[in-house]
Amino acid sequence: MVSRAKIKELMNESACSHSKEKKPGEGCDKPKPGLAAGGCAFDGAQISLFPYSDAIHLVHGPQTCLGASWETRETKTSYPGRDHTQMGFTTGITTNDVIFGGDKRLDASIDYIMENYRPEAIFVYSTCVTALVGDDIDMTCKRASEKHGIPVVPVHAAGFVGSKNLGSRLAGEAVLEHLIGTKEPEKTTPYDINLIGDYNVTGDMWQYLPIFEKIGIRILSSLSGDGRVGDIRMAHRAKLNVIVCAKSLITLTRKMEEQYGIPWISVSFYGKRDTSFAIREIVNALGSPELIARAEAVIAEEEAALEVKLAPYKALFSGKKAVLNTGGNKAWSIASGLQDLGIEVVATSVAKSTQDDIDKAREYLGENGVLMTKPASEQGKIIDSTGAHILLAGGRSLYTAIKKKISFIDVNQEKKTSYGGYGGLLNLAEDLKYAFRNPVFANVGKPAPWEM
Amino acid sequence: MEFSLSRHEHKPLQVNPIKHSQPMGATLAFLGVKDCMPLMHGAQGCASYTKVFFTRHFNEPIAVRNTSVSDITAVLDGGDYSILMAIENIQSKEKNLKPSMIGLHTTGLTETKGDDVRGVGMHIEIPYVFVNTPDYEGGMESGWSLTVTAMIEQITEAATGIKPNKLVLLPHLSMQPIEIEKLKCFCEDFGFETYALPDLSTSLDGYWEEGQGKLSNGGITVEQIRDLATSSVVVSLGASMKKSALALQKKNPLIEHLHFDHVMGLEGCDNFVSALMKIRHSEPKPLIKRWRARLQDAMLDSHFLIGTSHFVITGEPDMLSGMCALIRSVGGTITAAVSTTFSDVLHTIEAENVFVGDLEDAERFFEGADMVISNFHAERILHSVENTALVIRGFPNYEELGNQLKNDQLYEGSTYFLFEIANELRKVKHEH
Repeated sequence: MVSRAKIKELMNESACSHSKEKKPGEGCDKPKPGLAAGGCAFDGAQISLFPYSDAIHLVHGPQTCLGASWETRETKTSYPGRDHTQMGFTTGITTNDVIFGGDKRLDASIDYIMENYRPEAIFVYSTCVTALVGDDIDMTCKRASEKHGIPVVPVHAAGFVGSKNLGSRLAGEAVLEHLIGTKEPEKTTPYDINLIGDYNVTGDMWQYLPIFEKIGIRILSSLSGDGRVGDIRMAHRAKLNVIVCAKSLITLTRKMEEQYGIPWISVSFYGKRDTSFAIREIVNALGSPELIARAEAVIAEEEAALEVKLAPYKALFSGKKAVLNTGGNKAWSIASGLQDLGIEVVATSVAKSTQDDIDKAREYLGENGVLMTKPASEQGKIIDSTGAHILLAGGRSLYTAIKKKISFIDVNQEKKTSYGGYGGLLNLAEDLKYAFRNPVFANVGKPAPWEM
Repeated sequence: MEFSLSRHEHKPLQVNPIKHSQPMGATLAFLGVKDCMPLMHGAQGCASYTKVFFTRHFNEPIAVRNTSVSDITAVLDGGDYSILMAIENIQSKEKNLKPSMIGLHTTGLTETKGDDVRGVGMHIEIPYVFVNTPDYEGGMESGWSLTVTAMIEQITEAATGIKPNKLVLLPHLSMQPIEIEKLKCFCEDFGFETYALPDLSTSLDGYWEEGQGKLSNGGITVEQIRDLATSSVVVSLGASMKKSALALQKKNPLIEHLHFDHVMGLEGCDNFVSALMKIRHSEPKPLIKRWRARLQDAMLDSHFLIGTSHFVITGEPDMLSGMCALIRSVGGTITAAVSTTFSDVLHTIEAENVFVGDLEDAERFFEGADMVISNFHAERILHSVENTALVIRGFPNYEELGNQLKNDQLYEGSTYFLFEIANELRKVKHEH
């Protein structure tokens, strides 16, 4: 069972930049009845760990938790075995389990999985109902682990303990407590890193991993994109933790710094500048002059090759202005990508951003860029006053684009291609090219014959 | 493993589940009431998952709120605190929001702690309907029908007289918006003033307009639900809807109840037409007769391909019953009909195997099948099976577009459905 002390600790993470502005003990915002949107803690935990395709993820709870969430994320894997990230396993508890407890069912489910699938590990997620009725998941997991000889990891992130972000933190805690430091690598290099928080959605990681290989940076483990449980167990031997676009796992990296002396940095791989910057941050942190020199050579080579490929797009996009309305780190990471393509970003939304994200957005957009705090009502006016050509936003803003007769890209739609790394910028450019060219937004808004 | 039809589970877990939860069915039912605010009483994730699930299936904004029960309120609150807080918070933040009704549905979490959700209605002025839908019982289909029953019991006013020719349809969960529209038109063609409860045909039908999706868009109005007991006929479509029809009859015993397990295929639709003819003492319009003849033709045209094929079908019980009957009527062999939950209607299905299960179970039958009819989750599994076609039906379908406009009902829909599966079969059976 997760203790309130642990939740309090996670909600007051000292390494979070916004913690400085809050009163002591105030911590992260708690969900408000009626106004809370977005996923719960279980959702966050599942997202953080699900990409381990050699493990099986068993959700101990009633039907909603897994039934509505499996096979919803394009988390790619190179695992040669059966891809468990696109499968769903749940105990699907019934009234009987609520009355008499679900421990037996959980135990039998683990046996069933071992008999039929033989994974490298099993993650067992508690959920609101099984946490409330007090199933002893820790004990069941411990016994199962001894019986079957593989890690069976309890993840205590029942939905009601908080938001998605807290759930990711709790997933990090489970990994730290049960997996990291339980296995030694056969060899290590001075350039071993852990990637934390990239889930390889649409294969984002594969855009930059070949570049790492060229430079000589070795990925010891990943949490958890294209990750393996066997690797994360050796994560304590890495020289550096690299957080990719995920603030929620800061607690994990801070604790790994305290326990194993592994420093951490936070980077993003969206757009050319961010990708180059990220590579420099990593090699600088690893500190080898030889590595740094090799990185500079590779960056120069990659950037030059990219520039050649981008030239026709830049010609096409010259003079184009964009308004961006999306949340969190996308507010600046997509802006950075657009700017790399020669598009002027005249406004971006900071309605749901942290102070860090707001500062970054200001840095990228410059003094004249508008940081929208009420994008729904502001974006239309800004499109008029700046003469913007494209709106990148969630589906709900589509009507604004049609009313203003400008192009539109739904940035919240499930992506099918990756926008990560240098190569991803070309995918973004290609999508933008078609968006600018598409007459649908002007056509669909034409008045009906009876409205003329 | 032996698969037989039973209320008891044949294994301790579900692998690649097809079953969805009761609260999700409740949300969808409330979305068929105009300007309703579905309010899910549980942790925020329950509603968030549900919202994403239906948004991706319908490609429409889905208006559902939640009471975001926390670990503290889970222990200390008897239920009404977080519900009233939620309503108050929503109203103080969005002052212009005028919900016609609040549709409160519970989840496993709030049922486990035993919240009393009944009393809340006394503290608010907006019409309030509550339904107990724990997600450790039943499934999406039962959540939908429980909600329809709750709306009838709590909103519909008892009546002593009936309006001749007023008809109310109670469609089961798996019917898509266009199917409800076609059914309504069909009854209207017989001269009935027709209502559907719930009515997704004007709320999630992909109709494009300006709107932020803060409340449900279209559907039957609260006023119309209040007035339903003046109907002369109630038609329950799908075994899961029988109880809802009985609840309406309790409000006015003069209402005539017609029940159909399904209205797919020649026989299913003929039964429906005969009953309507008997009430109206009139023949159907020429176009309905024309569609019957087209269905006859489609059955003959497709019988060879379908009649030599083996099918695996998964889905909610009421959807399975209609689809299996249609395929059987042209000679198709159903190797396995895999249901999300148990229902007595499953006993009527003619198939080599009928059982309650998941896609892991269904997968055992994929190898020998020419066609799988299932939700989109079967697609990835079928990548490793050669020469088995897939037609996607049921919830969810995250990948295909236009799900709300797929019509498989009555003479017309059955005709298109037969052609669709025959054409898909052709691709795997004759292309070498």
